[in-house]
Amino acid sequence: MTLPLTHRESVPESPNRLGLDGIEFIEYATSRPQALGQVLENMGFRPVARHRSREVTLYRQGGMNLVVNASPDDARVSATTDGQPVISAVAFRVRDALQAHTRCMELGAWNVTSQAQAMELHIPAIHGPGGSRFYFVDRWQEFSIYDIDFKPIPTVDQHPEATAGMSYFGVVQYIGAGRSADWLAYFEHMFDFSFVPDDQRFGILPKGKLMKSPCGNFLWQLIEPDPWMDTDESPECLQRIGLGAVDVGAAVAALKARGVEFVESTQLHPEDRGALTRSALGSVSFELVHKD
Amino acid sequence: MNLLDGFGMDTITMAGSLEAKLSAMKDAGFSQVMLMARDLVTHPGGVPAAVAAVQASGLRPTGFQVLRDFEGLSGHLHGYKVDIAKSMLEMCAATGSKVLLACSSTSRHATDDLDHIARDLKKLAMLALPLGIKVAYEGLSWGRTVNEFTTSWDVVCRADCPNLGIGIDSFHIFAANTPLDAIEDLDPEKIFLVQLSDFMWNETPTFEDRMTTARTFRVFPGEGVHSEALADLVLRLDRIGYRGDYSFEVFNDDYQQLPLATVAERARKSATWLHDNVLHRSAPLPAWTRTQASV
Repeated sequence: MTLPLTHRESVPESPNRLGLDGIEFIEYATSRPQALGQVLENMGFRPVARHRSREVTLYRQGGMNLVVNASPDDARVSATTDGQPVISAVAFRVRDALQAHTRCMELGAWNVTSQAQAMELHIPAIHGPGGSRFYFVDRWQEFSIYDIDFKPIPTVDQHPEATAGMSYFGVVQYIGAGRSADWLAYFEHMFDFSFVPDDQRFGILPKGKLMKSPCGNFLWQLIEPDPWMDTDESPECLQRIGLGAVDVGAAVAALKARGVEFVESTQLHPEDRGALTRSALGSVSFELVHKD
Repeated sequence: MNLLDGFGMDTITMAGSLEAKLSAMKDAGFSQVMLMARDLVTHPGGVPAAVAAVQASGLRPTGFQVLRDFEGLSGHLHGYKVDIAKSMLEMCAATGSKVLLACSSTSRHATDDLDHIARDLKKLAMLALPLGIKVAYEGLSWGRTVNEFTTSWDVVCRADCPNLGIGIDSFHIFAANTPLDAIEDLDPEKIFLVQLSDFMWNETPTFEDRMTTARTFRVFPGEGVHSEALADLVLRLDRIGYRGDYSFEVFNDDYQQLPLATVAERARKSATWLHDNVLHRSAPLPAWTRTQASV
């Protein structure tokens, strides 16, 4: 009897047990929704809908959905840091939201209790780093979840084009000192993310450890504090959003024309590989990354 | 820099209020404390007041104990224990402790399948991970399936999770007569806690003997009949590169009725014995050397 060829060596597969398929939305919590809205509009996002029961606005450009949550209970996390907006949630597109949530709970995730009101969608979620959450959304192909919980803002184009064709590229997470191995294990175990070797980097901020989603649609970057930093003063959080653009130069020019400022120093400045916007409202910056 | 750095007492050794215990430890020169969940929940001011007392003491928490009988269960028993674990983790995080001690199960209802045990411990480690907590899994010498550090190490290796490691307790090693040679097989980075104590009996053959002795008649390192073996253990740990904390896990009914300062003084003597006579650690340099260096 002979074994099939494939059994001769143990070749690891890249499983995608949640059926992950990109980012459905990213949420900011803030007690200053107007100020953040202005920053987002400068970045090309347009407010397209408002939540039926809470102070939540949906912004959109191209395939990117971005939610600004100013409802008092959720904005409290931002109130503790002088109203600085914080990335409070990332919603993953998955094959089956309930299955994904159940699997993560079995693996040791912390459940988030739903706040859905009557007739609103109950989107299952688990706790992420800091005070953040990971949502699981499965109804993104046949209809839009926003049609249920949100009311479109009248006369506004519901599908504004993306500036310079930008799309979600990834999320940068700040982690505690010596915590890279922990978080690598977490994302690998929970979501089947895979490690990207240190010699493969994108954009102009190559620090830390990089992971790729099993769908290949986005990256996740983990950054520890520098050794000289006081770790107690740098809590773990989702720090910034990476936006992919085929032509970074064109995106930078378009955004500059709208008043977006970029970090320009000898070490860090806009170039073909990427660019970093100046931090607005004390905490909001976007990283542009070249995408083929 | 302090001679006692790296050594700490456990609150379980002394009687009295949490504040009195913390104060006695500090007065004896200790800079860390191993906390017990009961310290928090029995505090007259509740958990927040206990947390405030720990913070005000300036003592660093060595770790937080103890989650019992977590692994190997199924169905509603498993769900129940997950809830208990979450509450323990929340208290652990509130105190600023970076290590949760989990003891091997004694439950008849738990499986003896080591892979199942490893899977449950990995789940516990995942629960602990976002909170920045490491789980130290310790084999109780009367544990049903895992009762030696060699087996707890096997389980930790099977689980293969960076924030899951082992806790070593000298009492259980000596009570179970585990050969110390196996220390060589451990990865020092995965030993998250070492608890030390000695006791007065040469033999504890039955689980009953072990439990009674463990809970009522342990003594500080150097005070019992296993001092030589304990010194050997500490030196072996030092040799493989363990540089973490040593805490004194001394359950003793007599110490529970002595003045706190007297008990803390015995702990200080024990730490000094380990520092000077066992590990031969160097004394801190006198202050004038630091002044010279900064010129």
